[in-house]
Amino acid sequence: MKIELKKFGQLLISRPAGKEAWLVAKAYTLSELDDLEKIEVDFNDVLVLTPSWADEFLTPLLATYPKRVSFLPSTNQTVNNSLDIINR
Amino acid sequence: MIERQINKKNNISDIEQWAINGDKKYSKDEYYCPTRDIFQARLSGFLEELRKKLTDDNRAFLLTAIVGEIGNNSFDHNLGKWLDVPGVCFDWDPDNYLIILADRGQGVLTTIKKVRPTTNTNQKALQTAFTETLSGRSPERRGNGLKFVRQVAQANSIEISFHSGDALCFINNNEFTIKLTTKKVPGTLAIIKF
Repeated sequence: MKIELKKFGQLLISRPAGKEAWLVAKAYTLSELDDLEKIEVDFNDVLVLTPSWADEFLTPLLATYPKRVSFLPSTNQTVNNSLDIINR
Repeated sequence: MIERQINKKNNISDIEQWAINGDKKYSKDEYYCPTRDIFQARLSGFLEELRKKLTDDNRAFLLTAIVGEIGNNSFDHNLGKWLDVPGVCFDWDPDNYLIILADRGQGVLTTIKKVRPTTNTNQKALQTAFTETLSGRSPERRGNGLKFVRQVAQANSIEISFHSGDALCFINNNEFTIKLTTKKVPGTLAIIKF
């Protein structure tokens, strides 16, 4: 399954927005996931990602589906800096 | 054009005054964001204008991320605990490449002290906030926002003066210094030069 983050908005900035996105994704997107199916996170067309939004969405995603989540490469520096800081 | 330049310059100075004394005469509707929704909407407009101003989209995105982290921090840590006026003041002066954000919240020392009671000065609180993953919102695991701000600013020649209490954190390229200042800001005040 590919999760396109642009579907949650192009400015992924605040914690409440990240938390809301995670709850919606769990209810409507991840509920369709097959057992052991891998998840690819696509950052294409996201303009701004912050660690706050990422921490509310990507941190629980990684914790809920260990070893099944991969991040597709991005040239957006806010994406790469945010991933770098939440992975520390 | 000249009138706009003067207005923007006055706004920056008024927001600094508001951060220090909270006087309502300094918080104009054009930059005062009483709620997070209003701040988000203005941040979105800010990015559009910034992309027109700068040739490098990635720089515009990084600056928006910095402003978003600092502004949202004000709401994350002060909801229900504002000193007097809720929300943030946020404006920018495109001609002088300046951005300003301020809140009348409880300040960084109060929030850090909640999870590390031994922290007893504003300087130590800023040091922790900008260098350690530790958040005042215990037991939640968070506290990366200002580390991100420091990292991005230092890697991209963005200068930040961040005030809280009687302390000032100055970030620019390889410089990261925290010192006492005569400017007393009960909440927070951030001045960004890019």
